[in-house]
Amino acid sequence: MEDPSQQLPPGWIAQWDETHQRHLFIDQNTGQSQWEPPALPGAGAPAPGPAAGGHTKRRQYAAGQTQAYYGESGVVHPPAPGDMAGNAVGGSSFFTPAGGDQPPAQPSGFYNPTAMGQGPGVFSAGGFVAPAQPSAYQQQQPQVGALTDQFSQMGLQPGYGQKQFALHTVNLVGAFLDPRELVGPPPEIRLPPGACVSQEVTANADYTYQRCTMNAIPTTNSLLGKAKLPFGLILTPHRSLKEGDAAVQVVTDQVIARCRRCRTYINPYVTFIDGGARWKCCMCNVSNEVPQMFDWDQATNTPGDRWKRAELNHGVVDFVAPTEYMVRPPQAPVYVFLLDVSQHGVASGMLATATRTILESLDRLPNTDNRTKVAIIGFDTALHFFCVPSGSTESTLLVVSDLDDVFLPKPTDLLINLTEARAGLETLLGRLSDMFVDTHSVGSALGPALQAGFKLISSLGGKLIVCTSTLPTLGTGALKAREDPKVFGTSKESSLLQAADAFYKTFAIECSRSQVSVDMFLFSAQYQDVATLSCLPHYTAGNTFFYPAFNAARSEDAIKFAHEFGEILASPICLEAVIRVRASRGLRMSSFHGNFFVRSTDLLSLPAVPLDQSYAIEVQIEENITSPFVVFQTAVLHTTSDGERRIRVVTSAYPTTSNISEVYASADQVAIATLLANKAVERSISSKLEDARDALSNKMVDILTTYKNTMTSSGGGASAALSIADNMKFLPLLTLGLLKHVGIRQSTQIPSDLRAYAQALLTTLPSQLLIPYLHPTFYGLHNMPPECGTIGEQGVIMPPPLPLTSERLERHGLYLIEDGQTMFLWVGRDAVPQLIMDVFELPAYEQLRTGKATLPLLENVFSQRVNAVINKTREMRRGPYWPHLYIVKEDGEAAMRLWALSMLVQDRGAENLPSYPQFLTSLKERVNGSSYT
Amino acid sequence: MLGSGWLFLFGVLAAAGLLFTMVFFIIMFSDLECDYINPIDLCNKLNTFVLPEMGFHAFLTLCFLLSGQWTALFLNLPLVAFNVQKIMNKNHMYDATEIFRTLGGHKKECFIKLGFYLVSFFYYLYRMIVALISESE
Repeated sequence: MEDPSQQLPPGWIAQWDETHQRHLFIDQNTGQSQWEPPALPGAGAPAPGPAAGGHTKRRQYAAGQTQAYYGESGVVHPPAPGDMAGNAVGGSSFFTPAGGDQPPAQPSGFYNPTAMGQGPGVFSAGGFVAPAQPSAYQQQQPQVGALTDQFSQMGLQPGYGQKQFALHTVNLVGAFLDPRELVGPPPEIRLPPGACVSQEVTANADYTYQRCTMNAIPTTNSLLGKAKLPFGLILTPHRSLKEGDAAVQVVTDQVIARCRRCRTYINPYVTFIDGGARWKCCMCNVSNEVPQMFDWDQATNTPGDRWKRAELNHGVVDFVAPTEYMVRPPQAPVYVFLLDVSQHGVASGMLATATRTILESLDRLPNTDNRTKVAIIGFDTALHFFCVPSGSTESTLLVVSDLDDVFLPKPTDLLINLTEARAGLETLLGRLSDMFVDTHSVGSALGPALQAGFKLISSLGGKLIVCTSTLPTLGTGALKAREDPKVFGTSKESSLLQAADAFYKTFAIECSRSQVSVDMFLFSAQYQDVATLSCLPHYTAGNTFFYPAFNAARSEDAIKFAHEFGEILASPICLEAVIRVRASRGLRMSSFHGNFFVRSTDLLSLPAVPLDQSYAIEVQIEENITSPFVVFQTAVLHTTSDGERRIRVVTSAYPTTSNISEVYASADQVAIATLLANKAVERSISSKLEDARDALSNKMVDILTTYKNTMTSSGGGASAALSIADNMKFLPLLTLGLLKHVGIRQSTQIPSDLRAYAQALLTTLPSQLLIPYLHPTFYGLHNMPPECGTIGEQGVIMPPPLPLTSERLERHGLYLIEDGQTMFLWVGRDAVPQLIMDVFELPAYEQLRTGKATLPLLENVFSQRVNAVINKTREMRRGPYWPHLYIVKEDGEAAMRLWALSMLVQDRGAENLPSYPQFLTSLKERVNGSSYT
Repeated sequence: MLGSGWLFLFGVLAAAGLLFTMVFFIIMFSDLECDYINPIDLCNKLNTFVLPEMGFHAFLTLCFLLSGQWTALFLNLPLVAFNVQKIMNKNHMYDATEIFRTLGGHKKECFIKLGFYLVSFFYYLYRMIVALISESE
């Protein structure tokens, strides 16, 4: 019999009574004794009694069990055959086939209907198979208490471990890919039962915070090498919360429980031993003491329930960091605006829009305890400092024209407290653009301005926000217009994507050291060397925004910039952050992609963590993994914009497998595509664009070849089919999308600024934004079902997306193509006048103008629906981006038409880019060809 | 021949010096891997030695050229060409932002250079002895 003391609430001990041959339970605090095992405080159901076997170390309820079998997302996935809850319905015998009780399941919605095909026979562990509905458990909830015992014993059945992943092979050739499947969640994570101390679904971090390219980790490096899938983590630890998203739980304890050897934070995957007095680390198996106050609720000053603690039930938690996590008191948010006041900046209206947006955003800047500081520096051929004494409404302008040795003209009042000097700041921002309205100075001393801004805040840290509309031409960091259209499309093109001047790298490192982050807003109509300028945000964890040919006279341009700029200003930033990712023994983080500075082999330093930025980390298997599951834990130590030092800990666990089919069946195509995009961009900068493209298609061929050789019956021979797992069927299409993407594709036309910006986006966008960026969404608006564009249960109902091919374009149609950064409203040449009238308020198609536009909101239902769809498109994803809307006529301006058509990635593109069927054929030839050799 | 004896004595000392520089580089790289030093300090430290190392080696090669020591010259020319090419491509300096990505390559390069300096050390030593013997005869 298991020692019952291991499941006692704290303070209780169990004593063996010789005369009665049973345990006596004594509460040490009160002296009370009883024969019955004491219930754990706060338990929702009685704890399972001591049962035979070795698996009763923690409480396990029906919910915990079911979750273990279903992972986190039982809803959209096909129900796995042999549902446990279905068995339980049958009564006392555990493995009665319950097929008679439950109709065969039909997965709801459109996700993965083909996956049902596997049917019975997969789940052999129990010997019986019962198709059942995934919701069977929910229907049985009232009986949970009664079922508890059964379930806890079921967990002990030898061999009744985690369920197998069912692998469904599809033939890519001729397969219809429904774009809706792309937005679904990754394959479920099926942890072995008992891996987790919590029964909450939140115990594994949501995939929007952290996702792995494989949801079953190969146990050996050779298996990983055999599967050819890239192994990596995609992180978005600082994610914005939209309506309906659960807020991150906060733990306010003084002592943070961490492993004393590997410094892992306590998480739902640790095991409690010695009656709960110690916990065993899930990464390195060292046993650690549980902190004294762990079972004490400090808010109410009463004994708390350990099992309800946030860090044991949630994969994403924030710990409030005590003083030992601080090098200095938490810094306040500091914003220094470096504004281009040269003629270009003024004439394009950039300066006026920027100052107005700052003025309007003053209330939205994070400033909870009135510590936020702001400074404004203008630059053209000289530096213009604005000195605003606190309390005064007046400001003085100080001009420094010495660019070689930058100095601050005044020691105080340049960096001002937002609250104290609010009046003066408002007057200044209101007048600023008028002060320079007549300027004729052409030239940009961006480098010296950056140095001045850095000098101003180097002791504090903070954010430098740069708005510039020309190539920097003066002082340090001056750049040349190095772009040469002759180089486009050649192997030398990647040199245009590398930094031109070492200043931008060394300065970035200095900034990173002083906790200064740089955001770049670029506006030039001519070449601006985005590649070099985006180095600063890249290494200081900032954002780059690029508005080619910005002109505020066009209201669309002004709105886009004002929206994105305003969102960045209002977003709650994390300051002074470091990120470290820990993983179970045998796994090592090998390389890192994203906007940060790598400070040591596994430590990323980010002066500021912007909202919704994604990081990709490649993982290596260094030694064979013996544990049934592995844990990845990302810890972000940061200062919130409210001035609190916190640690965000994101923990997710994945089962391990030695079976290659499980590796394939659990692959997450979205995460793989995200990782491949990051790797391709890095490759294209460090080597050649061509190499990046080759590496991508070779990777695809490798995966398909291995898949064919190991998973299909055709083995080494040639076959007409091109097979891949159902859950990876979008991978070739996403790869093609990446190969055809502005950042990567072969072309002699793409200006390097656009390429560099696209590459910056490819490496920073979280998967939710990146996938539409690679594989745009395409809607038919003229024939959308009547409910689309109206408000449904989940907001505006979107039309069903179409496959990305121009075959779907009808001559009388109205279509929307969007990739999260731009939207195209495609109008067919035979569009009926009524449609044009309804949407654009114009009498005929001929009067319609191609280009950036704002749709009028008219007094008719169709116009309102179209507007609703467009607005929903702008809002539905996380991130600050506000896509432009372009109207494209089928027989209109050729450049615009080609641009819109280049979004339809399944088509043959310009400059001999293959169509999707062609791409598949070439892949198939290479797959078949390589198997002969 | 008095000149060649002195020349190879200088060569021996130079090779020993270069050898130690490489050992220093390798130690620093492993320090970085063990997190004893941060990449910024490492690059600042190493970058002060990169150009002197290359220059010293080039100077030695120049001495061989001027004194007509063709074997020694041809032994050293590939490395000089390699260094010149690196400087032309402007990637001779260690870049703190990329150092972790390129660390493996840097280490390999340092080990190869270490081996090369070791070989040249013994070669110069041999030539010095030969020169001294022939001088005493």
